[in-house]
Amino acid sequence: MPARPPRAIQAIAALFLPCACREEVLGDLQERCTSATQYFRDVLRTVPLVILSRIRRTANPHLVLMHAFVLYLSFYGAAWFKAPALLYEKWGLVRLAIPGAITLLALILEDAYAKPGRRSPLRLARGPLLGLSWMLLAQAAFWTSHSSLTLPVWIVLYGGALGLLLTSALRMLFSPQSTSPQGRI
Amino acid sequence: MAKPDALGQFEQLVLTAILTRREDAYGVSIHSKVEELAHPKAVSLGAVYVTLDRLEDKGLVKSWLSDPTPERGGRAKRCYRLEALGERALEESAVTAKRIWDGIVEVWGKEWVRGMSKEWGKRLGKETG
Repeated sequence: MPARPPRAIQAIAALFLPCACREEVLGDLQERCTSATQYFRDVLRTVPLVILSRIRRTANPHLVLMHAFVLYLSFYGAAWFKAPALLYEKWGLVRLAIPGAITLLALILEDAYAKPGRRSPLRLARGPLLGLSWMLLAQAAFWTSHSSLTLPVWIVLYGGALGLLLTSALRMLFSPQSTSPQGRI
Repeated sequence: MAKPDALGQFEQLVLTAILTRREDAYGVSIHSKVEELAHPKAVSLGAVYVTLDRLEDKGLVKSWLSDPTPERGGRAKRCYRLEALGERALEESAVTAKRIWDGIVEVWGKEWVRGMSKEWGKRLGKETG
């Protein structure tokens, strides 16, 4: 007879699983459960692959490239206006890419974890907002650790605002839509 | 009609599992059939999900959510069935596999086939006890 899966592990798995496939994956894992250890091993071997597969399905490579381009352009533009010297510093261009990369990661994850189906413009703007907050948190973490990866505050703010505007516009124009039962975008 | 892409070996196994499970093709049942077909290789449930997603994106299978069942904690199953394109792709793979088999038999002879049959018989006998 199948054992009952440990509640804590099940709750953690539910938290990490994208909602488009949470129901069936948790059900399958519960059906296979014979002991707590086996369930834990199953979760460890299954959940990362399900997340990666969901990201592959929801991330449109063209849209990701466009987002990466506008985000880098936003921070590059902000640096060009506020602190052009940064552009000629060693690793200056790499430092400008970090906030954009963090925002892009948040956008990709937001799409993967979004509920399948058509999304309203307000819900589409949630990704860029999440990306902006992740980027600000990462910069704050860099500032506290006095890391050489930090950008000047004004570049972060101007670049972040411009990036938010441009990525939101891109998402409104090329709205991610559900085309399959599992909400492929 | 669209021409199906060539299938990878694991995709062939998953499609065969869906075909044999008929109405009862969902994550756990497909995984157990794939493990049986891939024996002695171990197959993870995650790998089956990844392949099912890919096959659905290619339009080879179709999925839908069934009613929730109590043994799954009141959760629904995602059931799968082959689409016409999937059936054609599997058929092409089977024809290719048959050609490979015939080619091997032609060179290595009937003796090799008998040897293989004996070995498989022994393996199956051991498994069934």
